[in-house]
Amino acid sequence: MNILLYNLFYLLVFPGLLFCILMGVLLSGLDRILVARMQRRVGPPLLQNWYDFLKCMGKETIIPRHARRTVYLFAPVVGFGALITISLFLPVLNGKAAFSGNSDLVVILYLLTLVSVCGMVGASASGSPFAGVGLSREMVAMISYELPFVLVMLSVSLKTVALNPMGAPLTFSLTEIWNYQAAHGPLICHWSLIPAALAMLFVIPCEVGMHPFDVAEAETEICEGMLAEYSGKPLAVYKLTHMVKMYVMCALFYVLFLGGLSTGMAAVDVVIFVLVCALLTFLTMSLPHAVCARFKVEQVFQFYWTWVAALALVSLVLVFFGL
Amino acid sequence: MNTFMQNFPILAIMSLFLGAFITSLVARHSQKAGNFISALSVTLALGFILALFKPVMLDGQIITYWLGGWEPVAGWAIGICLEVDALSLFFGLIVTVAVFVSCLYSFTYMNHDDALPNYYTLFLMLSGSVLGLVLSGDLFNVFVMIEIMTFTAVALTAFRTSYEGALEGAFKYLAVGSLGSTGVLVGIALLYSQLHTLNLAQIAALMPVTQGSSVVLAIAFGFLFIGFGTKAFLFPFHPLAADAHAVAPASISLMISGVLTKCGVYGIIRLTYILFQNANRPVVSYLVTGFGAVSMFVCVTMAFNQHNFKRLLAFHSISQVGYVITVVGLSSALGLGAGLYHAMNHTIFKGLLFLTAGAVQHQTGSLDLDRLGGLSKRMPKTTALFLIGAASISGLPPFNGFASKWMIYQATFNAGLLHHNLFYLAVCVCALLTSVLTLASFIKVTQSVFFGQLPKEYEQVEEVPLAMRLPMWILAVLCVVTGLFPSLVQTYLLTPAVSAIANIPAYVDAAMGAGYAADRSVPGGVIASLPVTNTWTPTAWLALLFSVTCAVAIVAILGSPKDRQHEYISQMGEEESAKYDSFFSGEQAVYSQVGGSDLFWGFKHNWRKYFAVMHNWHSGIVNDYTLYGVAAIAFVLLVCVTTL
Amino acid sequence: MLMVNYLGCFALIALGFYCMITRHDLIKVVIGMSLVDYGANLLVVSVGFHAGGTAPIFTISELSRASFFVDPIPQALTLTSIVIGACTTAMSLSLCMMLNRQYGTLDTREIRRLRG
Repeated sequence: MNILLYNLFYLLVFPGLLFCILMGVLLSGLDRILVARMQRRVGPPLLQNWYDFLKCMGKETIIPRHARRTVYLFAPVVGFGALITISLFLPVLNGKAAFSGNSDLVVILYLLTLVSVCGMVGASASGSPFAGVGLSREMVAMISYELPFVLVMLSVSLKTVALNPMGAPLTFSLTEIWNYQAAHGPLICHWSLIPAALAMLFVIPCEVGMHPFDVAEAETEICEGMLAEYSGKPLAVYKLTHMVKMYVMCALFYVLFLGGLSTGMAAVDVVIFVLVCALLTFLTMSLPHAVCARFKVEQVFQFYWTWVAALALVSLVLVFFGL
Repeated sequence: MNTFMQNFPILAIMSLFLGAFITSLVARHSQKAGNFISALSVTLALGFILALFKPVMLDGQIITYWLGGWEPVAGWAIGICLEVDALSLFFGLIVTVAVFVSCLYSFTYMNHDDALPNYYTLFLMLSGSVLGLVLSGDLFNVFVMIEIMTFTAVALTAFRTSYEGALEGAFKYLAVGSLGSTGVLVGIALLYSQLHTLNLAQIAALMPVTQGSSVVLAIAFGFLFIGFGTKAFLFPFHPLAADAHAVAPASISLMISGVLTKCGVYGIIRLTYILFQNANRPVVSYLVTGFGAVSMFVCVTMAFNQHNFKRLLAFHSISQVGYVITVVGLSSALGLGAGLYHAMNHTIFKGLLFLTAGAVQHQTGSLDLDRLGGLSKRMPKTTALFLIGAASISGLPPFNGFASKWMIYQATFNAGLLHHNLFYLAVCVCALLTSVLTLASFIKVTQSVFFGQLPKEYEQVEEVPLAMRLPMWILAVLCVVTGLFPSLVQTYLLTPAVSAIANIPAYVDAAMGAGYAADRSVPGGVIASLPVTNTWTPTAWLALLFSVTCAVAIVAILGSPKDRQHEYISQMGEEESAKYDSFFSGEQAVYSQVGGSDLFWGFKHNWRKYFAVMHNWHSGIVNDYTLYGVAAIAFVLLVCVTTL
Repeated sequence: MLMVNYLGCFALIALGFYCMITRHDLIKVVIGMSLVDYGANLLVVSVGFHAGGTAPIFTISELSRASFFVDPIPQALTLTSIVIGACTTAMSLSLCMMLNRQYGTLDTREIRRLRG
């Protein structure tokens, strides 16, 4: 009974649903304010995205004639569920995740994929040609960041790998990564992994679909692309997914490169964590948003497969040779 | 040993061959009777194989059957033997299940065709030969079965002779595939010249400890490897599979991708781990893994260019077999486990995908990705089945593709780590990347066949009948079950099979009599048994995913309005219904369909040179394909002679 | 003496490959396939050959320690593989016939609707 309650708590409150939504709303609000300030505007209130979400929830859901109803309605929800599930694997507090296995990173990689796929399938089911173009671009963006992401993942695993009692390597385990950092200091302090950390910083905005890399939702070119036909509650869920994804990616960076630090007081740890997330949001999302114009699709691909992948590859090779 | 059980392997094979014979006699008079006989023989074969599950998989027995009772005399195997260890049975299970499903599907799918007696005769012969191959304990029998298999597969590929390209695909398959058959035959001859036996167990026992002692054996290894590689459609031979798959009936595509390629995989495993267990291990690993990785990557990129549904699936089929071969080459228990698991999953999900493609073809008469669209409106159940298959092959959790790919990443990464080898790490990256590209392809199919807009000509298309959906559902359920319970699969299927590979003396002794292996000091095996710790346990977080999804679904869906669009249209007239239109920004709907080949422009544009080169290489000319094949043979032989 | 056989069979296989690669006529491709087949058959039968051996026929009265015959197994194998080779040739020729009817040509460079 207790275990069930604990699990429900993990799932619904911390680090699950409630905390995710809270952080997502805060970070996205912060992002909007920061961008506005950089552009010498006042910007919306911090909770503007939450108000938008509530407004969308109240609107009528219009299902287009060409749409396949079930897929159209359920795809966003499944994607959101997958995203919340990722948060349960992240040991954001004291290296303890609600769930941990011996290959969390692969699971997270695929769950992130699942989130995008749900978006794409939903868009596809809406029957709009703009959504078709949008999902095509989203897929290209995904192929683009997947290579550096995978390389980062491998270099981190290679650095922190431990052996289990039977002598088999424990790889891709976030708990192991956290433990390693607790013993040897955060990975960002290891110079061989600094390129990987940089690459990961580049991966975050593309994974979230933030401005210079938001090829899939380019309003001016393809009318919001994947969301062209969405309205009402499914749209609200998509917006929420977008916000929570910002938080999840920041948290993933925190766990991979800044983990292992603990003051012993949970409250202080949480505050530090929130501050780090805010900083990451500023660095990876607000700053490029304010500075850069949107990339073209093929430029996104080129950028990630050359520069970002090269950064990650440098780390992988360095780590491989024991540096 | 239970002597009654001993007859089951031969009974399973003979029920298929006898079924083929009787069908050809009966079906000319009554097709119903022919169908009944084929269904009966397929079910019998499945039953016999399932009956072997307990003794072989659970009790670890190895069942041998000497044809005509010719048991070994004075340490020499003079008769032909069937030897069923857990590895053979593992593949036997895959084969019989796939055959069963394919046969069930054929009854409705093929009902518009003529010459059906021939179809079922050939189909049963194909099934029998494949089963004979994996259960055989005799190398020459393997060759004969491969030949029957190639033959019947070619005939079945060309079965719909009027279908565009059917004959062409069949001829290429036969001509270039004959390189593989020649490879196997020459390999057998060379092996025989050195060891004077054809019995697999005896070859394993007599194989000299230092491989370098005989160049002839190295050449034999090269020929056999390329021969089995051809049957698995490895890299330079992959155009054959693409051509054959695209034009064959869907039930046969299932057989080619789900069953025939597995024979190649089985052959490579037997060859590298049991027959040539003393070969220079790193070289063998590089060879097998290298070929696997290249096929994996090249074929997945080739799939991007395809406009034909089944041809696209065909390339993915080879790509997935590439995964299997890649990890099988790693010489680790985890790798073998992952490979076997993925081989099984590949049969299941790729079978499902081919059957859905067949359903689309059956109902619409087209497989053109640029012309189809919006079929989910008309065929919702097929769409659901396709999505399950697509999610499985793309490795999305919680389907089976994820469970096996998870093991594949672990295996390649561990190999890179333990051997401190950059090559294996590169393979790991390649495997992860291939998975994304696979996903992209299937998004393309989803968009261009099942979603998007419904062309006018397909507005009257109907859902396929239940008799065709049933086999698909069987496979779909298997997709989910094998994905949700990887630990069960590991305990009851993978561990026995990998242990069988690891325990060569038991294999030798079962055929040649106890003590035979010990007398000749046969080594214990290349790999250790599969460690039990490396299982992925999805149930915990699967429950979570489920509950999260449910919770959000309640919030989001219950509040949403009912499907009122049709009521609106009838009540309010046309003006009101305009809000349910899709937004086309002024274009007419007919001109704004996003076809399959329009997708992923950003990716294809950046890789246009690569794609252009690849397009030129896959020229469709038999001579070119033969050239690639001969070049591969030469390369493999060179590697074998210089390093083994 | 036996060396000639081995050289001959590999020469046959190589010639067959050469024929399959360079000839654009489908019938010649089939001839190439047959050549490869013959080479392989020759190899198999040479493997079992012993100089001076007699035919491997058991007749109880003549069997003695001194009787010495060639290995019978490769001969059986060769027979099987010749049969298979004949089937392959028949099959491919029939495919050629139908291809000719459908495409109106036997040139491999024109029989390439499946490509890319």
